[in-house]
Parts: sequence; C-alpha cells; structure tokens
Amino acid sequence: MSAAATTGTYSPAASAGEKRRERKEELRRHLAEDADWPRADGRSFHDCRPAFMQTGPTTAASGSAYAEFGKTKVIVSVFGPRESKKTMMYSDTGRLNCNVSYTTFATPIRGQGTDNKEYSAMLHKALEGAVMLHTFPKTTVDVFALVLESGGSDLPIIISCASLALADAGIMMYDLVTSVSVSCFGKNIIIDPTSDEEAWQDGSLMVAYMPARKEITQLTLTGEWSDGKITNAVELCMDACTKLCDILRERLKDASSLAE
Amino acid sequence: MVGLSEGEKHFIRGGIAQDLRADGRRRLQFRAMSVETGVIPQANGSARVRLGSTEVIASVKAELGKPSILHPDKGKVSIFVDCSPTAAPMFEGRGSEDLSAELSVALQRCLLGGKSGAGAAIDLSSLIVVDGKVCWDLYIDGLVVSSDGNLLDALAAAIKVALSDTGIPRVNVSLSAATDEEPEVDVSDDEFLQFDTSSVPVIVTLTKVGKHYIVDATSEEESQMSSAVSVSVNRHRQICGLTKRGGAGLDASVIFDMISVAKHVSQQFMSVLDSDIAAAEEAE
Repeated sequence: MSAAATTGTYSPAASAGEKRRERKEELRRHLAEDADWPRADGRSFHDCRPAFMQTGPTTAASGSAYAEFGKTKVIVSVFGPRESKKTMMYSDTGRLNCNVSYTTFATPIRGQGTDNKEYSAMLHKALEGAVMLHTFPKTTVDVFALVLESGGSDLPIIISCASLALADAGIMMYDLVTSVSVSCFGKNIIIDPTSDEEAWQDGSLMVAYMPARKEITQLTLTGEWSDGKITNAVELCMDACTKLCDILRERLKDASSLAE
Repeated sequence: MVGLSEGEKHFIRGGIAQDLRADGRRRLQFRAMSVETGVIPQANGSARVRLGSTEVIASVKAELGKPSILHPDKGKVSIFVDCSPTAAPMFEGRGSEDLSAELSVALQRCLLGGKSGAGAAIDLSSLIVVDGKVCWDLYIDGLVVSSDGNLLDALAAAIKVALSDTGIPRVNVSLSAATDEEPEVDVSDDEFLQFDTSSVPVIVTLTKVGKHYIVDATSEEESQMSSAVSVSVNRHRQICGLTKRGGAGLDASVIFDMISVAKHVSQQFMSVLDSDIAAAEEAE
C-alpha cells in the first residue's frame, strides 16, 4: 500500500523545478552558441508582446483600465479626487495614493505575488511626476492596481495601465506615462520579458517615460551593465514606450467616441 | 520634513549654482567620513560609518540554513534596513516603514545582481556548504542611528565595510553513508574564512538641485531636490544597480551624464573607503 502510494505521489514543486531547469539549460545552450535564438513565444529579441488595453472595466471607479500583455493581466481602478483622510496633514497639493496587489492565483505557486511589496512605491514614483497634483489640493486620488495573472514585466504593465486609468478618470496629467522593461542575457538584450525569462535573466532595466515631454520619470536597473549597454537599452525602451503610448491614445479616443 | 525659510532655500540653491555649498563643500565633494569595524561583537561582521552627521551601523550575521528547492546550489542573503526613531521623530512607529522598505529594496537591487546571479556583489554559490542540504544564510542589517541626508550611500558603504570585516566559520561536514540523511555539521569556533569583498559596489547618489547635481546631500539640500539618481558602481567600473527618486522627470541625456559623473566620483570614493577600511582594521 505504502509503496503504491509513494510511486503515485504527485509533487508539483519538484516537477515544476525540473521543467524550469530544463528551460534554463536551453537558455544556457543558446548563450553558449551566442546566436539569435527563438524566444519561447516565437518573438524576436526586440519584439514586444501584443498589447490589449481597454478603458472602463469597473463602473464604480472614476476611471479604470484593463491591460493584457501575453499572459500578464492587470486591472487598475482610479478613485477620486476625494477628500483626504482626516488624519492626513493639510496639503495644498493633492495626494496620489498607489496600491498594487496580486491575486492569490496570480502566480504558479499560490500567494507568491506578495513578494513584490515595493511595487506600490515604485508605481507612485513613476506616476507622481506626470500628475498635476496642484490641480486638486486637499484631496487624494487613489490608484488601485490588481494583477490578475502574473506573466512577466508586471510592473511596467501596471504603470502603463495606471496612466491609462488616470486619463480615463479625467485626472489632469502633463503626459501619459508608459513603461517597458528589458532583460539582459550575456550581451543580448531582450524586450518585454516573460516570467520564465525574468527568472533566469542576468540583469534587468525598466524605464517609465513620458513620450511627449521626452522625460524619464522612473529608471531602475539590476545586474552588471556597461555604459554602452545601458544607453542601448534605455533607447530601446524609450522607443517602445513611444509606440505603446500611441496605443494608449487610440484607446482613449475610442472610449470618447463611444461616449458621444 | 526640514523646515526652511524662503531665504534659506534661496541660499542653498544659490550656493549649489555657484559650486560653493552651505558647509563650504564643492558640488562633487563628500563630507568627512569615519569608519569603525567590529562594533557589534555578537555579529560575524559589523561596521559603523559616519558621513558628516549621518551615522549608520551595518551588521552581518551568518546562520546555517537549508537552500531553497529552486536554487539548491545557492545560499541566501537578506538585507533589511531599520530607521531608528532616535534618529528622527518621524521614524516613530510605522513612520519609517516606507523609507526602510525603499532603502532595503535599493540595496538589494545593487548588491544581489540579476536573478541568474550575474553581477552580484555576493557570490551566492560561495555560501553553499552541502549542495541542496546546508548553506549559509547571510543576514545583513542596516540601522540608521542619525539621519542627515544621503542614507543610501552611507548604508552601502557600511555594508561594504561590514562584509570586509566578516569572518564565516569554517565548517567540517561528515557525510554519512546514506545520502538521504541530514549531514552532520561541525562549526569551528576559531577558524574563520574571510569574505571576498572585491566585487561589492559603492553607491553614489547624485541629487539634482536646480540645473546642477551634487553628491552627499545633507537633509536640507535633499529637501530642495527635484530628483536624485543612485548609481552603484563596482571596481571594474561597471554599473550594477540604479534607482531614481523624486518625482520630476529627467531627459535621457541628463541621466547618461549623471551616470558618467557618478562613475567618476565612485572611483575616488572607493579608494577613500578602501584606505579607511585598512586603517580601521589596523586600529582594531
């Protein structure tokens, strides 16, 4: 009985680990060959995943947006401007309150998304430079982001989706903020990485950019990078951000023409 | 928050524009630094770093643990920063949570490298004792004792010094015949292995005030900043981490310029730090 039970035991963690290791081996092989390898989803290195974005999924919010990039699915609601909490000190500029949460089923291992505690602060930093906070003194705008499914490049997608939701809510902004990240493997740079690619990357770089003002609002980098590679990666991201921003503008135009 | 009058703000901004700051420094000049090692006897390594009136303590503790299933060939490093309410009243209770989290994340980003372990300051595979069974868990804790700006640079410097002070006990493993069993580990009390800190980077934060940027800003100067970029640079002049603070957007060319300035400044800072470490170890 016990022997049969052991052979029939199903252990997801170990097999998942094995599968990942296989993929890692494959990546290693590609790196050794140093050739352009096909990515798991058939993209080339500098291709982004197709972006699907839509405004207004939640009706209770002042503005909301839904974004789907490959497997990554994010929903952002914006509430306000509404009166700041009584405990807050008086402020003659508005407040931007950002919160990012993950559903428990967003990641392959349940509840793992809570690792990303810093995302709320990062979202705030990426957006605060774009929102005209002086236009709503004494009040707070809440930005709540929920990651339904985590499929890589979560934070950049949250940022882009949040700026679309802010625009949908009619919050005054200097410009839309879009964000794109890249992963580096050896000397190769790949754009818009999936979670598998992120798990084995040598380094990553994320840019949040205001295309019309040509300003970078947030930039983070991990891993070891040379000067030239940073320049290349940042320029690649800025170009992708500009294109993503056009998509955001299209969506906003669609929404307003529907309203008429 | 620093309360400043209009006149004081004008004075600080004007001074920075003229390359003569309120305390007589140039724009790219650090405050006097003092370094002390071995300040916490219970820890495997520790250091106190003072930069002007900013004071931070870093401690490194090593404990034996079990590697994670996903990375059986790697040890674990965790970095935490705590801001003591003795440094500033606003750090009381949950007031320091955001700042602590921000500093911890920035340090993790700079020290731990990419997911694959490339570019990491601490080689995680050097922390392994028995593959898949026993590894060292390294706990790096930073404490802000007194806060007068430029906490991130001071903390990174303190961690670098603490790591160079760290001795990891030598372990003797007696593997039993059955590989499934837990190996017996004998931790030596008097034999220590020195930690290789040659690849630990330093962080240089460039704070942009007006059109110019300064290093090692005091909290008065930080209150006048539009944005700040923290760049971590290692001995090989490679960038191994970058974070931006402050709301204002920056043009890409300004960021590239800041990176090259930070690289230049970091090499001087690192040589000062190296000689301070040597002096502190001799004094011990």
